[in-house]
Amino acid sequence: MSDELVLEMRGIRKEFPGVVANDDVTFDVRRGEVHALLGENGAGKSTLMNILYGLYRPDAGEILLNGKRVVFSSASDAIDAGIGMVHQHFMLIPVMTVAENVVLGTEPVKDGVLLDEAAAEKRVADMAKTFNFAVEPGALVEDIGVGQQQRVEIMKALYRNADLLILDEPTAVLTPQEASDLFEILRTLRREGISIVFISHKLKEVLEIADRITVLRRGKTIETVPREGATEETLARAMVGREVLLRVEKKPAEVGDVLLEVEDLWASDDRGVQKVRGMSFQVRAGEIVGIAGVDGNGQTELIDALTGLRHADRGVVRVGGRELHHASPRHVLDAGLGHIPEDRQRFGLVLEFSLAENVALHDYSTPPDSKWGWLFPKRLVERARGLIQEFDVRGGGPLTPAGALSGGNQQKLVAAREISRDPKALIAAQPTRGLDVGAIEYLHRRLVSERDEGRAILLVSLELDEIFSLSDRILVIYEGQIVGEHTGDVSEEQIGFEMVGVQKKVPA
Amino acid sequence: MTTWGGRLENPVSERLRDPATTGYVALALGAFAAFLAIPPIEARSPTWPVAVGIVAIALGIWTATRGRRRLGWGAVVAGLLGIGLGVLATHSGTGNLETVFDATLIDQTFGLATPLVFGAIAGMFAERSGVINIGLEGMMLMGAFFGVYGADKGGTWVVGLLIGMASGGLLALVYAFFAIHLRADQIVGGTAVNFLAVGITGYFFQLVYNGQVSGNVSTVPNLHIAGLGHFLEGSIGNLSLLTWASFALVILAYVVLFKTPIGLRIRACGEHPRAADTVGINVYAIRYGCVVLSGLLVAIGGVYLSLGPQGNGTFIFDMTSGKGFIALAAMIFGNWRPAGAFGAAVLFGFSSALALKLQVYNPQASTLFQILPYALTLVAVAGVIGRTVAPAADGKPYAKQ
Amino acid sequence: MSDPEKNLIQPPEQAASTGTLAARLSLSQRAGGVVVPVLTVVLAFLIGGLVVLATGHNPLLAYRDIFNGAGLNWIFHPTTDTQGSVAAYNLTQTLLQSTTLIFTGLAVAFAFRCGMFNIGGEGQYIVGLVVANWIGVSFAGMSTLPHVLLAIVGATLAGAAWAGIAGVLKATTGAHEVISTIMLNWIAIYTAVWLFGDGGPLQGSQPTVPVSKDVASSAQLPVIWGTKGFQGLDIGFLLAIGALVVFWAVINRTTLGYEVRAVGFNPDAAAYGGINVKKNLIRAMAISGAFAGMGGAVDMLGYLYHYGSLDVQNSAAGGVGFIGIAVALLGRNTAVGVFLGSVLFGGLIYGTTQGLSSNVIQPELASNVTLIIQGLVVLFIGADILILYVWNSRKRLRRQPPTPPAPAKAAA
Repeated sequence: MSDELVLEMRGIRKEFPGVVANDDVTFDVRRGEVHALLGENGAGKSTLMNILYGLYRPDAGEILLNGKRVVFSSASDAIDAGIGMVHQHFMLIPVMTVAENVVLGTEPVKDGVLLDEAAAEKRVADMAKTFNFAVEPGALVEDIGVGQQQRVEIMKALYRNADLLILDEPTAVLTPQEASDLFEILRTLRREGISIVFISHKLKEVLEIADRITVLRRGKTIETVPREGATEETLARAMVGREVLLRVEKKPAEVGDVLLEVEDLWASDDRGVQKVRGMSFQVRAGEIVGIAGVDGNGQTELIDALTGLRHADRGVVRVGGRELHHASPRHVLDAGLGHIPEDRQRFGLVLEFSLAENVALHDYSTPPDSKWGWLFPKRLVERARGLIQEFDVRGGGPLTPAGALSGGNQQKLVAAREISRDPKALIAAQPTRGLDVGAIEYLHRRLVSERDEGRAILLVSLELDEIFSLSDRILVIYEGQIVGEHTGDVSEEQIGFEMVGVQKKVPA
Repeated sequence: MTTWGGRLENPVSERLRDPATTGYVALALGAFAAFLAIPPIEARSPTWPVAVGIVAIALGIWTATRGRRRLGWGAVVAGLLGIGLGVLATHSGTGNLETVFDATLIDQTFGLATPLVFGAIAGMFAERSGVINIGLEGMMLMGAFFGVYGADKGGTWVVGLLIGMASGGLLALVYAFFAIHLRADQIVGGTAVNFLAVGITGYFFQLVYNGQVSGNVSTVPNLHIAGLGHFLEGSIGNLSLLTWASFALVILAYVVLFKTPIGLRIRACGEHPRAADTVGINVYAIRYGCVVLSGLLVAIGGVYLSLGPQGNGTFIFDMTSGKGFIALAAMIFGNWRPAGAFGAAVLFGFSSALALKLQVYNPQASTLFQILPYALTLVAVAGVIGRTVAPAADGKPYAKQ
Repeated sequence: MSDPEKNLIQPPEQAASTGTLAARLSLSQRAGGVVVPVLTVVLAFLIGGLVVLATGHNPLLAYRDIFNGAGLNWIFHPTTDTQGSVAAYNLTQTLLQSTTLIFTGLAVAFAFRCGMFNIGGEGQYIVGLVVANWIGVSFAGMSTLPHVLLAIVGATLAGAAWAGIAGVLKATTGAHEVISTIMLNWIAIYTAVWLFGDGGPLQGSQPTVPVSKDVASSAQLPVIWGTKGFQGLDIGFLLAIGALVVFWAVINRTTLGYEVRAVGFNPDAAAYGGINVKKNLIRAMAISGAFAGMGGAVDMLGYLYHYGSLDVQNSAAGGVGFIGIAVALLGRNTAVGVFLGSVLFGGLIYGTTQGLSSNVIQPELASNVTLIIQGLVVLFIGADILILYVWNSRKRLRRQPPTPPAPAKAAA
């Protein structure tokens, strides 16, 4: 590593409607270093890198590449300037070979017109050898593992002569073994003089691989430190910060019977990878149990398995004492489980339906909404009108299409529907994601008051603040398992450590 | 949005979809075809052995284009043998057989397959780039009419061929604009193309020829090959120039799609346009090119219909009568691959040729053979046997970032 | 919490921002209201007129003659009795044509509402024709009402079963309904050719003539306007109106319709709401086919009485099942829209063929103009973006200064 700067980003600012994603961010990369960009979800890491890669235009600030000021208007500008990006979602064509994917768009040619498959494979093989990639050039991408696919993405960038590589949370999709292989590759690349930006929120791996670490929090640069001297504790403090929490007024919980019970639950994602691995917990009447964790540790599969949208591999779910086995969503609903889904637009609402029709999404087939298959739209409208008033849904009446509402009001509508069904237990997944402060406050207060009504509430959230301000009990999920359970006072740092797989206790 | 690729979660067991299973079923059917003709069943007419044999061949092609080549082509051979044996066995029973199974059957098979080959390859280019072309039927019809028009006004079939191709390409260009730029639903757009083509050709047919072409125009010549011996000369010694061209096209299409950089890019656009875009490939340009090429090629099939040995310089209203759709079926059946599409087109041509031949003495069996292509394709897309793999982004409009 | 593993290899782009076809149609419905269909028709007629003009005919006079040929001048009380009775007759013929299109239009519209494209109305209609003919011929001697009911119910169920195949395939194996309904069309067509054909089971008494027997008089529908011997308007028209009402009621007033619409707009949310998505795909396809099958029955019992192999083959290209697509798309898949669309196309079809008596343009030409207009309507309605753009630029032209351009959307 030399001290020569290949990249400088100065005073970068990027605003999206309602949020400042980057606020006066400064960031630089030296030749041949691995520079980690560390921060929580939503800290502005991806925005910053998308600006660098030409996908967003900054509102203010400048980018210098090898000392020269550059303006990228598209990703191909960035590629031409020698920047390569490995997206979290790979840009690979599964039915083509590794070599074909690598050379696509810049293919070697023989006899004037023919694709030189052999030359392509040889160049890929050479590259694989140089950087120790262990990838078969002739293999189909769909047949190789995720770790190898990631290497193909890296090779795509190297093939186009990238000397600055951006890796967006590269380990999020990897097993620990694959991750350590990746680190080996990154060290090789560094030796060859390639600079790497490593985006992550995992402290351990950042300390393992990075030369320098820049911490972002809420769109601002907090600090840039060399790895030497940095510890998980100092980084976590910088990452989480000491912000004033938005505490919600609430009485101590008066818990009652167990209303939601999970015993040794296992569930897999769509690709058959086990994401929930033997979880057991209980939620009692009158308490809010928060599940804290980093994205992708099995939260989605847990919720899907609980609500019948996904069949569990094994395990037992009981709602109000009733055992549900391979239940359909309809059975789960009937057993008394309410569900505020994490993606309200995809699952929670039919955006083309009116508010009244959306309110009836679970109950359209039973009286009073309908009788013998005949729907009573007026009753739907009346019920919707009542709920709109009670839950303060603004921006439309019962006949307004749900898609016309703002996100906060859409979420209120979903909450109104789920709560009005008088469920025994309620799952709230990311209930305030992307909402404005007013809507967040309203939903938080509402969840607490539903708790006081004697419902069992399971809150799944990526926002630690939210988990802290609402939960009576906190479970920490890590790689599909509950790795920590806390009642009473626990420090946010402790939870933060457990979320990223650190077991060490810190003084509160 | 409409797309061939979009599938629901599939409950049919993987074992059933394994091409190997299909291959063995095909082999068994080939044997069964022969068995039908001998005691104790002793089919009196060749219809059943032949039908079963065709199913065996179809399954063989299916298997071969889905990875199990040796097994698949083995099944095709078994099916052919089954037909042959079945026919031999019933040969003594009925005197009609010679009129059905002779060299001209092969001649007619290739003759009837020609427009299907052009259509299937044409559709393949469009769909490999990610645009469903359900308007093949209409573009073929354009070629059929404007081929005659061009040959009539230009005095030679060459002009007819060029004008016919241009008309198909033009209609394809209009479709491409709606499907690519305006991101219209591709099924709706293709349906519109088919309406338009019937209307446009019908209108000008009426206007220019008053609903009747004299038939006195220059037609595409046949290629006479002498000295092949009686059987070969009867079967392939007198095929149309365009039939030979269709064979060449299959090879050319294979080379272009699978052996050149442009083919790699075309397939990339059909599989993952965003990935193609991120490496600097102009997805819109590729898709426009492929759709227009599709129109040009399928129009040659139309020109063949009107100026080839069957039409012989005549055009009739709605002349294609579904051939574009059979071509589409052949492409799907052939798994979006040149060899598979060719195999399916020839198979469908064979069943049509049989239908024509059988018309003479067994009209009911004749209809059965006309249903076969559609029934086979229906079974095939149902995915009970083997899996159809459309390009992943087929039918999905692409919005640039 | 989007799970990164789930989308490891990112699926190729979804179209625009909206998911299903039904969702997109709904979007444009809200954005364009009745503007898009009306403008589409105007544009299609304009271009059709240009074609007519370019070939040396006066489009205005041609359209006037087509209007009269469709019998629509009857509404304006023609001056003489002869004109009046000709107009009345033409109008009955137009409505007869519209009756068919209402059924096939509803067949397409119902599937659309569930997010599927039923391109197989033609086959389902033919299945209806065949079954109605078979029942109508076979059970001679029954009294009228039960015979008619039996034939209609039988044909309706047959149409439902035929389309249901495509629904079952989609729900169980994921086979695309467009491909399977196209294939089912041709299978139905050739099966009907065989049934009515020489030596076929449903062929009439004359050998070598590939036409079916006439349905027994007990199975023929009563005529409500005109004379029975001269193809008067039969009670099938009222059945079609009834079907429109049923369609409206089922879609908007029943739990079945609620499920169909939910699945059509957003299958994920429907599943979350406790709706069985696969069951609905099958059911919607079957109901869709039921409409087309009933249309076949009504035509067979109402005025066709018999059908031949050649009729089947001739209808294959731009048959009523395909025009049903134009009707449904133009009618925005609503009952009222389907009615208006079917009258428009019914009028166009009859008004450009038998009804047309014109020195301006001969029927053989005009009937092709109809096909072109149909094609343009489908083309434009599929590209609602274009139509809305045309509409909006008209507004922009009128009010100056132009509105500032919409703020650029943040790239995703």
